[in-house]
Amino acid sequence: MNSSNEINPIRLEVFKHLFTAIPEEMGAVLRKSSYSPNIKERLDFSCALFDAEASMISQAAHIPVHLGAMPLSVQYSLKEIDLAPGDMVTLNDPYRGGTHLPDITLVAPIFVKDELFGFAANRAHHADVGGMTAGSMPIAQELFQEGLIIPPIKLIEAGEINQGNWNLILANVRTPVERAGDLRAQIAANQRGVQRMQELANQYGIEDLSNYATALLDYTERMTRNLLAEIPNGEYSFADALDDDGISDEPIPIKVSIKIEDHAATVDFNGSAPQQKGSVNAVYAITLSAVYYVFRCLLSADVPNNSGSLRPIQVIAPESSVVNASHPAPVAGGNVETSQRITDVLLGALSQAMPDRIPAASQGTMNNTLIGGIDPRNKRSFTYYETICGGMGARPGKDGASGIHTHMTNTLNTPVEALEFAYPLQVMRYEIREGTGGAGQFKGGNGVYRDIKVLIEAQATQLSERRKTKPYGLEGGEPGSQGVNILIRDSKETELPSKGTFDLKAGDILSVRTPGGGGYGKK
Amino acid sequence: MRIGIDIGGTFTDFVVHNPETGSITTFKAPSTPSDPAKAMLEGLERVDGTAHRQLIHGSTVATNALLERKGTKTALITTKGFRDVLQIGRQNRPSLYDFFEDPSEPLIPKELRLEVNERVNADGEIQQALDIKELDEVAQLLDAEDVNSIAVSLLFSFLYPGHEQAIADFLREKGFFVSASNEILPQFREYERTSTTAVNAYVSPVMDKYIGKLQKELPHDDLSIMQSNGGSISPLEARKNAVRCIVSGPAGGVVGAQSVGLQAGFDRLITFDMGGTSTDVGLVDKQFQLTNEAEVGGLPIHIPIIDIHTVGSGGGSIARVDAGGALQVGPESAGADPGPACYGKGRLPTVTDANLVLGRLLPGNFLGGEMKLDKQRAIDAINSTAQALGLDPYQTALGVIEIANAHMARALRVISVERGYDPENFTLVSFGGAGGLHASALARNLGIPQVLVPPQAATLSALGMLMADVIKDYTKTVMLPGNTSIREIEALLQPLVETGQNNLSDQGIENANDMIIERYLDMRYEGQSFELRIPFGDDFIKDFHNAHKDSYGYANHEAEIEIVNLYVRAIGKVKQPELPRSTEKSPDSNSAILQEQDIIFADGTKRVPIYDAQLLKAGNQLTGPALVVRPDTTILLEDQDQASIDPFGNLIIKVPQ
Repeated sequence: MNSSNEINPIRLEVFKHLFTAIPEEMGAVLRKSSYSPNIKERLDFSCALFDAEASMISQAAHIPVHLGAMPLSVQYSLKEIDLAPGDMVTLNDPYRGGTHLPDITLVAPIFVKDELFGFAANRAHHADVGGMTAGSMPIAQELFQEGLIIPPIKLIEAGEINQGNWNLILANVRTPVERAGDLRAQIAANQRGVQRMQELANQYGIEDLSNYATALLDYTERMTRNLLAEIPNGEYSFADALDDDGISDEPIPIKVSIKIEDHAATVDFNGSAPQQKGSVNAVYAITLSAVYYVFRCLLSADVPNNSGSLRPIQVIAPESSVVNASHPAPVAGGNVETSQRITDVLLGALSQAMPDRIPAASQGTMNNTLIGGIDPRNKRSFTYYETICGGMGARPGKDGASGIHTHMTNTLNTPVEALEFAYPLQVMRYEIREGTGGAGQFKGGNGVYRDIKVLIEAQATQLSERRKTKPYGLEGGEPGSQGVNILIRDSKETELPSKGTFDLKAGDILSVRTPGGGGYGKK
Repeated sequence: MRIGIDIGGTFTDFVVHNPETGSITTFKAPSTPSDPAKAMLEGLERVDGTAHRQLIHGSTVATNALLERKGTKTALITTKGFRDVLQIGRQNRPSLYDFFEDPSEPLIPKELRLEVNERVNADGEIQQALDIKELDEVAQLLDAEDVNSIAVSLLFSFLYPGHEQAIADFLREKGFFVSASNEILPQFREYERTSTTAVNAYVSPVMDKYIGKLQKELPHDDLSIMQSNGGSISPLEARKNAVRCIVSGPAGGVVGAQSVGLQAGFDRLITFDMGGTSTDVGLVDKQFQLTNEAEVGGLPIHIPIIDIHTVGSGGGSIARVDAGGALQVGPESAGADPGPACYGKGRLPTVTDANLVLGRLLPGNFLGGEMKLDKQRAIDAINSTAQALGLDPYQTALGVIEIANAHMARALRVISVERGYDPENFTLVSFGGAGGLHASALARNLGIPQVLVPPQAATLSALGMLMADVIKDYTKTVMLPGNTSIREIEALLQPLVETGQNNLSDQGIENANDMIIERYLDMRYEGQSFELRIPFGDDFIKDFHNAHKDSYGYANHEAEIEIVNLYVRAIGKVKQPELPRSTEKSPDSNSAILQEQDIIFADGTKRVPIYDAQLLKAGNQLTGPALVVRPDTTILLEDQDQASIDPFGNLIIKVPQ
């Protein structure tokens, strides 16, 4: 029909609202009905819609590290599973559409009158998926040690839960009641997304719906190409490093070269380190997410988050490297730590091309802190997991903010009083680490102190970065200070490594001191 | 004589009820932002001063002090190690994909965030006792810094308020204005409690001065102050607890919509208040809904506030074409100055200009004819956008309306569908100056079967204040296991109940029949971080499981339950004035037709009747398409709408589905 070629700029905007509202509503369902603090209070989840070719039509503004990764989940579901109406696929295998094991994704096909229109999908961080240590972010050397691996399988078949798969998953996790609650919430969120899309198809017709979905991808592509055209042609390179992989002590270089040619870009990670024994390996989806994130931040706020923005950008990541790991390398830290360093090198390279729009390096870590043990009050095991804020890099014209999450995460903290009610732990100090932001014409933001006393014997795992290397400054600004992890036992301070599992005695204090951001401009 | 008075940005509205005659009269006076009391006092001169007058007043004094950061210089006293909680907040950034957007600055700068050595643990036990001598130094510093308002918020003060109270007593004795967190919001989650307390400390002295002045000028009148929770409080309490009055204007609107709706026989309402720069939407399911998670100006205020969702879409929202070739409407607004292009100052096309271009506004009849609209200017403005899009100006104007509606439809969905309500069961109550032109289209869009436009559409907030009960909230975090005995819970609730009863009688509610005490428990499954508010009764455990299933789709009978907070709501019923009612029943509306006019719709131009609302009578029937013109607003009936005037003068529009 000839209407298919004519895209009306008014309808385009109306569909933008319609398509964005659906993942937002899915997010509201997921948040409200989920069980664990991780999802409810820390908001560690994302929801999105896809077309029948697994291109992302829209994602609600949830967690950046999920951005580029969700389309791969849908692609693997489409490739490996024969989908029928009423089915829902689940997966977490980092080498088949996942990123790291705690992130469990659910993919639901959207059928309109027996025809596959697209998919609704959501991903949520589960507090435990089994493996060596509580919280499933161990210092492992193989993926198998990190927890239960779920390839794409049907969790729901023709509207009914596949009891075998359901039971298998719950039998392999430490907190099955909580997991079941969260999975049910994820199912409900996808069902809402499917229902809303079917309603839209009834209202506007499937042809208009898919035409405007395509038009919105084209629209975001156009906006991205306009952005690339603003960047001077040339090749911009930058290198930085991870401190270590938690097994050996060696720094792990990450390198990028961004080539801008008119309306297109090539992002090449050749020169980055090979994959590591420890868990800092990022799968390709993570690297893609970081590229996506950085360019997304340069677009204006109302551009929809969809796959169109990656069309003009080619991403090259050498196989079996730290930015494109191969099975069965462990990956728990790739998602939460390496993703931040990949972002740092991308921004470092782009700052050479557009120095007035790029901030200096932010803290470059999520300071993952896990504490587990047995709560004497009810004799049950507990796991506390938190990512801790730090300094934001200074920006052209503005200081960096202090005590804030930057780049690939934006999860909330656990209130001190909520934490002390829930766990046999006590927070002794939560304050800004003055003087840790890099000096400069504009100062980097400061990191924080989060000092946690364990009231019982417990085990702590620390997965952190920027304990050796520093967040860089730009345009003559000084780098931010590194973070440091300290064990305070009987008033004596001992420095802990950036990554590791430690036995704590009752009364010990784990003091996590997070990095500052880099400065911008000569003072 | 009962008088509701709402001070808004442009106008101060008065609604006067005479209990002897039963009459309700309304009038407006221009607001006087530099001295808000002036407009109120001048307006009151128009009301019989010899009669006994009860004034219920809502103002933006506290709101503006907060949003414009013109509150009083304030200090914080908190537990050692935690003075930066107010700055770090929940550690998240406000905008995911913007390197340059910062979280709101804390109201209290670091140098005025002071710490004391003390610690109470999660069981409410003192781990480190407070040494009150430390306060001598603190007081000196506060004097030197010329601070007189102080927020005190210590960890776990809701379990053991002794330390906080000792500090408050000490400083109050020295003449400081003190807001103690256990008095303002005795609930866990230290950032939200401290933020709420800091807002109170910041705005209360401003409110105190303002109300003090009113009381001095109006010594013979009874004054009550509207709160954000839908009820009023005494001036004495408002002066100390101004945080409770932060969004009293929009709250008045929802209460007004509720009483108009209930009297007309509709008890499930979606309220829609579209103004010049923004639109407020709320929901009434027999009762207005409350939230404990409000945020104003980026700062959490966690006392109960009427649940209102606001979007940056209004009559003044500006249309533009973006770099990707899509038409955008808002959130930038032309506001009241320069205003839409047709006001004669600005040149940028707005939603109001689009409505004018389409023939949906009468240029000579805007604001009762006080302001003449320049139609050619509106056409020129829309034309500039049309050329950029390659469309004709009428298609463009229709597009501007469609996109503005898409924004507002999203807001209406958030307040209804996302909260688990089906719009099909609701009536859309439209008020505010700009809403009438969009209400019918929005109702169609969302599947809402009918729209109610009250005759008081432009003064509904002041009417709501007139109708508002006296309402006091009391809460306390207890963190008890679900198997706690009924008797023990009752004993814990009792002090809150007694405080409520005493407070109501202090406010002149003497008759026990006029006192309603509601008792609730905030409950959750252990390990969850969100609570459900359950009415306290013998079956509260069962009720919680059921409520969880209703809200979230499942119940977990094996899980442990926690009782997180106690909540008591003390309501002093106010005799609600009956709205005047007409007995006329004439279906023929022809005599109210002023003229006919061409209006442009998506499916073509139609010649439609223009009704003068002041000539419409109860029982009149109208069929869309048509335009109903009031001095303060214009209402569009879309094709096939069937409308009638009810005995209260409400325009009830049945929208075909």
